[in-house]
Amino acid sequence: MLWIALHCPTLSLDWIERRFPAPLVPAMAVTVRRGNQSYILQANKAAQQRGVAIRQPLASALALFPDLAVVEHDPDEERKALHEAAYAALRFTPRIVMQDSGLIAEISSSLKLFGGLKELCQSLNRAVAAQGLQLCAAAAPTARGAWLLAQSASLRTVINGTGNRSGSLLDALPVDLLASAQLHLEVIRGIGCRTLADLRQLPRGGLAQRFGPELPAELDQAYGNAPDPQEWFEPPPAFRQKMELMAQVEGVELLLMSVQRMTEQMCGWLAARHAAVREFSFLLHHEHSSRQPQASTLINIKLSERSSDPAHLMVLLRQRLERTTIAAPTCALELEANEIAAGENGNLKLFPAAQSEATSLNRFIEKLSSRLGHRTVTGLAIISDHRPEYSQRQQLFQLSGTSSDCETGRGNKAISRKAVPQKSMGRSTSFPNRPAWLMENPVELKLRNQQPVYGSPLQLLAGPERIEAGWWDDASMARDYFIAENELGQLLWIYREPGTAVENHDQWYLQGFFG
Amino acid sequence: MSILVSQSSASLSLPQIETRFRNRIWRGSATGVPPDQVVPSGFEELDKALPGGGWPIGNLTELLLPTEGLGEIGLLSRMLAQATQAGRHVLLVSPPHVPYMPAWENLGMDSRRIVIVKACTPAERLWALEQGVKSAAFGAILGWLSGISQQATRKLQILARSAATLAFLFRPASARFEPSAAPLRILLHPARRDALSRTLRVHLLKRRGMPAGLSIYLTLPLVPSPGLPSALPEGSPSESFIQPLPASKVAHA
Repeated sequence: MLWIALHCPTLSLDWIERRFPAPLVPAMAVTVRRGNQSYILQANKAAQQRGVAIRQPLASALALFPDLAVVEHDPDEERKALHEAAYAALRFTPRIVMQDSGLIAEISSSLKLFGGLKELCQSLNRAVAAQGLQLCAAAAPTARGAWLLAQSASLRTVINGTGNRSGSLLDALPVDLLASAQLHLEVIRGIGCRTLADLRQLPRGGLAQRFGPELPAELDQAYGNAPDPQEWFEPPPAFRQKMELMAQVEGVELLLMSVQRMTEQMCGWLAARHAAVREFSFLLHHEHSSRQPQASTLINIKLSERSSDPAHLMVLLRQRLERTTIAAPTCALELEANEIAAGENGNLKLFPAAQSEATSLNRFIEKLSSRLGHRTVTGLAIISDHRPEYSQRQQLFQLSGTSSDCETGRGNKAISRKAVPQKSMGRSTSFPNRPAWLMENPVELKLRNQQPVYGSPLQLLAGPERIEAGWWDDASMARDYFIAENELGQLLWIYREPGTAVENHDQWYLQGFFG
Repeated sequence: MSILVSQSSASLSLPQIETRFRNRIWRGSATGVPPDQVVPSGFEELDKALPGGGWPIGNLTELLLPTEGLGEIGLLSRMLAQATQAGRHVLLVSPPHVPYMPAWENLGMDSRRIVIVKACTPAERLWALEQGVKSAAFGAILGWLSGISQQATRKLQILARSAATLAFLFRPASARFEPSAAPLRILLHPARRDALSRTLRVHLLKRRGMPAGLSIYLTLPLVPSPGLPSALPEGSPSESFIQPLPASKVAHA
């Protein structure tokens, strides 16, 4: 077994700082009550520069810097922030143990997939740090050993305690890191024990008698001499996260950081469930007021192909957010995975190959529809009908052969593609002389000397071809089609309706161009 | 080592040398460096004039035409038919009218492989076109952009260089005097036609290598079917408009 422990020494400050848009973080301190007095537990950099120090009474800190933002120590919120960070870590391993101020991940089975211990440790660190936590990390063969080492590491460093080194590294750790020694620290120091090595030299029986059986047990677990069963972190069956922001955020840019964090949490959650998302929605909550009745803005994203790739989801979200008008400043964000599907993790290729064409087409369609609107990317389906206006239908483009079950069959005009032989389809039912371009609606042509004019007087080249159909529905038509040409060299498909002549003049319409 | 090579090559015949040193011999009459891959256009005369012998993959090609309905789809139809039948998709970005799929199928294309994007503003069209070129999902991309700047064509060309796709840009003929980064620019003219055939005059404004000389006349695959009653007697069109013509084909669905 191999463990990576991530310890967050400034957790009580981090959970609140991550709710601010990055440029707006004020000078801030977290206080804890001891007896009658509040003391500073942690202060951020801006506050420390003003002279606010840890373990200072709150009153003297406020005397030094009256504008200090003061937050009370809140273990529940800290735990919540840690859980969110654990979601992000789930992408790398399903075995995660929560601690009070950090988490421990068992990674021996993920090493190969993520390219070795160093790479994995870096990516894990980056993913959790991206959730807004400041971390120190350590890797060791035992969970407790890794946790002790991580607590001793300084910020943003990793201690590598794998292999033979773990024993000597642990030996040098100070005793006050041990959870079971907290009550007896003074005595232990008094008998001259400073490091774990000093403690281990003492006789076991006496140690257990004097300080309780937990102390030698913890030492054994850290050194790997006793079993250390763990309780794994279990992700909930549904994903719904809400993040309150500490400021009223007006623009989209400042929201993106939080949006990205939540998206990554969702992707980690998806990875733990071996699933991919088909539809998810962001809810931007606005502060309630009488002037601004809209309580929230919904951003719902449907994917044409399920995905669990945070980068792809972010591209879609960013484009959608840029297009959305947000009615009021946002005070909270809520993300929900509405529809998930069992994901298939494709096999990795031996040689890097280009993305499959189907995937890139799906991504292209999603990208365009999220920026330009839902119905921008279309295809045209042929319907066997002789009337030009009814012989094709616009529909949302979908890959042929992948899903024939969704939303094409609208109305009775849809023909089943499966029933028609693939190759001869279309050709068997249509006529050779049809134009490549069709006008949106037929254009009435002007007449000059009773001749139709489009750019110049038209010359008829071929015709007529009578199309008479549609008596069974309301759009019955009877038209004589001609192919005509003008002096620009365009070939036009025009028609007149026999029997509708006004004052002996036929009315001519332009139906399309031969492109 | 070099002596050895020269000795052995001295005894080679000319075709042997050509096959052996392909791409490294330049002939004075050739159209410059053979470009990347090409796709045959389906027209022999045109293929001869195009550098490399076909539409260039990974390059922007401009088609300049005074107006729609000259046979521009007919010109590309053989290439498009080949692409769609090979299972690749074709992207149309803001076509000027509604593409009429039964006719496109007549030209051999698979209508299920044709993707249409409608965009309102020129900036959106350009963006959609760029995304299409980037996406590697399409065998061919056809875009109708009227007012496009030289910078935009340059950007498209740079994007196209790294994509394995054919990119065509339809522009008005008035743009022929504007500079453009597309390495191949073709001006289309309607040519004289007689009653039953349709000819397109194609003039290569710009290509890699030697400038092209004369225009090429292409007979397009789309011709009014000879089975139909043919043209009305010329010279008396007004008369024929008045007299009722017999309905030759009554279609019942």
